Amino acid sequence: MNLAKADTQPAWCPGCGNFAILKTLKRALDTAGTDRTKLVLVSGIGQAAKLPHYLEANVFNGLHGRALPSATGIRLANPALTVLVTSGDGDMYGEGGNHFIHAARRNISVKAFVHNNQVYGLTKGQASPTSDVGFVTKVQTHGVISGPMNPLALAIVEDAAFVARSFSGLADHLHEMMVAALAVEGGFCLLDILQPCVSFNRVNTFRWYKDRVRPIDASHDPHDRAAALDLAMRWGDEIPVGILYRSRRASFESQCPALAGSAAGQH
Amino acid sequence: MDLNVRIAGEAGQGVQSAGNLLVAALAQMGLHVVATQSYMSRIRGGLNWFDVRVADGPRFAGRDRADLLVALTDPAREILGGELADGGVVLYDGASVDGTVAIDFEAAAEEAGGEKVMANTVAAGAVFALLGCDIERLCDYLGTQFKKKGDAVVEANVRCARRGAELAGEHAGRFQAPRGGDAPTTLCNGAVAIAQAAAVAGAKVVTAYPMTPSTATFTHLAAVADRFGIVVEQAEDEIAAVNMICGAAYAGAPAMATTSGGGFALMAEGLSLAGIMELPIAIVIAQRPGPATGLPTRTAQQDLAFALHAGHGEFVRAIYAPGTVAQSYDLTRRALATAHRAQTPAIVLTDQFLQDLQTNAAPLPDEPDPIDRCILTDPPAEYARYAVTDDGVSPRAIPGGPALVVCDSDEHTPDGHITEDLDAHLAQQDKRLRKFDLLAADALEPEHYGPADAEALLICWGSTYGPCREAVDALVAAGQSAAMLHFAQVWPVRIGDIARAAIARAKRIVSVEGNATGQFAALCRQQGALAECELLLRYDGLPFTADTIVSRIRP
Repeated sequence: MNLAKADTQPAWCPGCGNFAILKTLKRALDTAGTDRTKLVLVSGIGQAAKLPHYLEANVFNGLHGRALPSATGIRLANPALTVLVTSGDGDMYGEGGNHFIHAARRNISVKAFVHNNQVYGLTKGQASPTSDVGFVTKVQTHGVISGPMNPLALAIVEDAAFVARSFSGLADHLHEMMVAALAVEGGFCLLDILQPCVSFNRVNTFRWYKDRVRPIDASHDPHDRAAALDLAMRWGDEIPVGILYRSRRASFESQCPALAGSAAGQH
Repeated sequence: MDLNVRIAGEAGQGVQSAGNLLVAALAQMGLHVVATQSYMSRIRGGLNWFDVRVADGPRFAGRDRADLLVALTDPAREILGGELADGGVVLYDGASVDGTVAIDFEAAAEEAGGEKVMANTVAAGAVFALLGCDIERLCDYLGTQFKKKGDAVVEANVRCARRGAELAGEHAGRFQAPRGGDAPTTLCNGAVAIAQAAAVAGAKVVTAYPMTPSTATFTHLAAVADRFGIVVEQAEDEIAAVNMICGAAYAGAPAMATTSGGGFALMAEGLSLAGIMELPIAIVIAQRPGPATGLPTRTAQQDLAFALHAGHGEFVRAIYAPGTVAQSYDLTRRALATAHRAQTPAIVLTDQFLQDLQTNAAPLPDEPDPIDRCILTDPPAEYARYAVTDDGVSPRAIPGGPALVVCDSDEHTPDGHITEDLDAHLAQQDKRLRKFDLLAADALEPEHYGPADAEALLICWGSTYGPCREAVDALVAAGQSAAMLHFAQVWPVRIGDIARAAIARAKRIVSVEGNATGQFAALCRQQGALAECELLLRYDGLPFTADTIVSRIRP
């Protein structure tokens, strides 16, 4: 059956935070001067994971939860490519949680932009690993019991190169964070992007985030790991956004004998 | 002349070191050798043995019984001493026990002015004497083996070897091993052959989560990684390992993962990903008995059906099953080449027996000789990764060049973007499945060994090559009419005229397999290659030997 006409892009709900993230990402890539032929967008499965299809770039839209290992493989094959993962909280923190920890530990030069709306959208409204305790869904009928995963704290503990948070409703701030992540020369970059889900999350709405996000004070030293962890632990009435942490640790590729001498291209 | 020396003791006692020393020393004399290993999944204790078979002509497998048992412990002497060949001798490491040749190897090493670890050298010296071999040849070998460690170490080892030979005393020459031979003087095992083939063929990203019995392949790749420029990465799990090689293959690097059945189970979704994304990946599965963790250090041929059917959905693959160390090399290279030509996964199905089997082999190629990656170097501006073609193969560009390369685990349009257009799905699925014809045309026919008009025909695949071939030799020597067909590629199954004629002529067809259900016979029947056949199965975790096959085939 020819359904090509019914299959028009994009697949997101009107008002979805993904639109703002896509628009800002295009602007950030232009600002950073990223050569699209050298850019690979990698994603897993979910609504956020469809983003690579709406941009001019090389695309590897892989398996659910497995964006980071595939992105790692791409970097290991060709360190001249800029590898950017754009996927959701379920994909990156749930199904791919183990890979997330190990990508940060490896400090592989992959930039992970995680659309974090604290809910599963494509499967219609179940809790995600970042859902708050008490969040009621058709599955978690008495509210979520397990505590939320803290991806920023995990990435800081694993000494990732760059750890930041922004919000889809702060276009300029998000642009600034994306450009900063794109500018990192080597190592694993996490940009956690808070984002409302207009269809399935009636708690963490645009307004809910807007009222809580607070830019990190300019006096914060991102190389201060203890201070960064302290910021990462804050959640509730005030949610810090900005660059929490920067590590000086060398990237995986720079220490890998087979890659160290071939950063200019495919080895 | 065909002698089997079995060195047996606890894990951690140096069984493997002693065995490696002995087999290498005998090989450098040009003798035909086969070394096989039987060990438990533990680092200390238990009962492990290492067989060194030495013969006056090529041999391909181990033997059930030992002519000379070197027992390093009482359990080794008691348990394995009851399974000696006629005229067998026990060389016991300790004080005199009736019916054995007793030498305290450690004490002898210290008497000879060596270290305790040189007990292995004493044992090798005693074995050389018992086999009637020239002790000077062992001393020559020790000289080259320990040269890097300096003259003092060489001299101490030589003294230990001579001391072992002296202590064998009157038992010297109990056996008459061949004096010399024309076999290659160097050794190789299946695990290293696979690894070296991948390195030479240009594999650039190799991943694994350590799993017996595949690990030796992974460690050899790590050993040669710097020289060949290979990224060898130990993944956090097998799911990561397979998704890493998918990413690497997409980016243009020949990529391979090594694992065993349990790890391959975790790779199943990634295999399917390579199927729909049309990525050239190679996976080495070194089989061991299952289900689940099963018997981690034993051998089996239980994962054929799994390798054939793993991964959801329908996609094409090639599966190779080497029967010898030489085939382990050739078929790994072929798997990588086929994967690239057909843009689909290729699997090498080996097992513990062949991974650990050492035999004479000329040194393997050691210079890069990359396979054709079949990459489109000048893609058009309007490049479509999944263009629909007659043979199903779409010209493959890689990212980083002038064209954008888009690929998706979802069904996709020819330009690689996600689609739910059902017509587009049909076009892509048919295109992908058309590549089967390419794989089938390229598939290897079985090797026929033995008389063309044989009445009894053994069917085998993978590592049963050696035991079956020796069984055919033994049966023919005993006046029986027997031959074999060995399949080194088990998917797609290609029969060919020679095999078809042999099957048609045979009065008795026996499928010899290391599993409990006759998986390959079932596959052959399903493919219309065989009608009914007998099954000769072994699934106790130990490899077939010619003896076990012959005893079942003889009328």
